[in-house]
Amino acid sequence: MSELERLEELVAEAFQSPDPRAALAAAAEDPGLGADLRARLAGAAPDGVRMAGLLVVKLRFERLIQGSRAAGEWFGRDAAGFARAFRRYHGEVAPRAEGPVQEAHAFAEWCARTGADR
Amino acid sequence: MTEPPAIGFTLQPEERMLELLGALLREEPDYYELAPETAWRPMPPDAQDGAPLEPNRYHAVFRALRAETGKPFVAHGVGWSPGSVRRDPERDRRWLERIRADHAAFAFRWYTDHLGVAELAGFNLTLPLPLPMTAEMSVIARASLAPLQRIVPDVGLENSVFYYHLGDPLDEPTFLRSVLHAPRTHLLLDLHNVFTTALNAGFEPERYLAALPLERVIEIHVSGGADSDPAWLPAGRTLRLDGHDSAVPEEVWALLEDVLPRCPNLRGVTLERMEGTVDEADVPLLREELRRARLIARGARRAHV
Repeated sequence: MSELERLEELVAEAFQSPDPRAALAAAAEDPGLGADLRARLAGAAPDGVRMAGLLVVKLRFERLIQGSRAAGEWFGRDAAGFARAFRRYHGEVAPRAEGPVQEAHAFAEWCARTGADR
Repeated sequence: MTEPPAIGFTLQPEERMLELLGALLREEPDYYELAPETAWRPMPPDAQDGAPLEPNRYHAVFRALRAETGKPFVAHGVGWSPGSVRRDPERDRRWLERIRADHAAFAFRWYTDHLGVAELAGFNLTLPLPLPMTAEMSVIARASLAPLQRIVPDVGLENSVFYYHLGDPLDEPTFLRSVLHAPRTHLLLDLHNVFTTALNAGFEPERYLAALPLERVIEIHVSGGADSDPAWLPAGRTLRLDGHDSAVPEEVWALLEDVLPRCPNLRGVTLERMEGTVDEADVPLLREELRRARLIARGARRAHV
């Protein structure tokens, strides 16, 4: 694996983690990266990483709500409970969906498996 | 620049917005900008391998608008992810097939996407994230444009908004220059992105613009945004967001007036607005913004000639 491939993996994992800033800071120590890429990661603005992390989650949330009427209804009647479940879902299920329908399907499968919606 | 650049407006897949802007869309812009993916039907979860991407109902709406007005289209994608190191060949094949069909339907004058990576190691993060601005990455981003260029001869990248950087943000103009040096590869200069990044990262936007290959600029974007919610970041800090959800700020108009005369190959200035952000009261503002862009474009031509 090239170091750019390793970087891509680390960044993908960081933005699925509950704390992308801490995950990117840890990635800056990864032995699979050369000194230049490690320094670049270490220099990433912490608040900027936090903001990018929030926007990644927001975009995934919007994709799900667009694709799933059930998710939208759940959010409508219990926003805080839905938000907690969605955070768990984001951490446990890799964001591989290309659109709202696939995201809705992945979320429904996760709910069925974990009972998160019961 | 012998003719003033044309003035464009983004089309969004939203019924209410298209209805509210019906007259404006027909009267004001010279061309339309379309994110092709927004006119595709999402792949069903049980899709067979090799299943094609199909157009959604807005595809027909936009085709009808083209037939009615005769106005040209440009494509501005959001998901090609030019910085992906390991591309998914099956995804690329489906996308290129769909883009080829869209180009047949819309005759795109050019096709651009965003600098950055949104598809990483099979994860679709949707938001373009920053790249390490290295020679190796420049080769990867450049190579990603080649298959698009076999469909639409003029292609390019937009300077995206990034909320953090893997290096000095002021290295980006040089990086863009290295990515966009092949014939008919262009820069889409998004001035709100420059303004936003400069504000968040703490540099003067003019320094960034001065280092760009302005002779490569084919299109300029203007749009608006807002500050983030103070509850989002520690200590109540806010960052400016590129939301395309409000009026173009005066600072961005000033950047447009400044930079436009220095872009000799510029062909269009596009006003961008996101779906879900237009109400009845916004319609006169959008009309005024399109007219202001046209006035600036005409003034720049006179100044240049």
